[in-house]
Amino acid sequence: MAERPEDLNLPNAVITRIIKEALPDGVNVSKEARRAISQAASVFVLYATSCANNFAMKAKRKTLNAGDVLAAMEEMEFERFLEPLRDALEVYKKDQRGRKEVSEQKRRDKERKADSENDKSREEEEEEEEEEEEEEDEDEEEEGPAVGTR
Amino acid sequence: MAATVEAPVPAEQDSARCGTEEENRGAEVEEKSQQQQQQTSSTGPAVPHSRLSKLPLARIKALMKTDPDVSLASQESVFIIAKATELFVEMIAKDALVYAQQGKRKTLQRKDLDNAIEAIDEFAFLEGTLD
Repeated sequence: MAERPEDLNLPNAVITRIIKEALPDGVNVSKEARRAISQAASVFVLYATSCANNFAMKAKRKTLNAGDVLAAMEEMEFERFLEPLRDALEVYKKDQRGRKEVSEQKRRDKERKADSENDKSREEEEEEEEEEEEEEDEDEEEEGPAVGTR
Repeated sequence: MAATVEAPVPAEQDSARCGTEEENRGAEVEEKSQQQQQQTSSTGPAVPHSRLSKLPLARIKALMKTDPDVSLASQESVFIIAKATELFVEMIAKDALVYAQQGKRKTLQRKDLDNAIEAIDEFAFLEGTLD
């Protein structure tokens, strides 16, 4: 399924919402105007991408990064976008870090759980013996039931 | 809320897949943003994580990839372009409105766009590109 630029449009509902939120109440937008803005937005993406890619290629990188895009904005004379974009990027990065930590923590928990379940069956007998020994020791020091470290 | 419930699912899928981290996370963001779009009506006032951008990152990325010179794009770069496009739409709508108001109209029309494109330097790249 080869995607050509002409086939890829941005969702109309989203474009319409962005337009409506930018304009004062009571202002309408004709269908043709909306379509033209949507097309313009796609062209913008392509132009910005091409521009950003030039910066990446200049730096001998194969991966486009955020810095390339910001440099492209300046080149395209959209300096007014730079500050809001930088702010948005900060929020985005923080959000991504949070989500990455959540998924890594889950992965670690899963692995820990899997490990402990594997070990448990093999070493169960040995552990019980150890725990009994520990319990005996602990009883001498403390009163009350001994709690296994597991 | 819907946002917190969704979080575990993409993470598990993420760890199960092989491949570049970027692509995985890109897909993860895609799924979430697609889900968000469908759930827009039921989502409460709280802003879910991946709603930092109104435009779907998957679509933006697909558009970017139509450029033959582009091999890889970081997830951040896709996000920034999405955000910039949002700002662009706001800007062009407002600039076109000036012309509608000059014509004493409350409805933005195609010709207002054309006027704005012709008059404003930053929109010069659009000349000849719209149907």
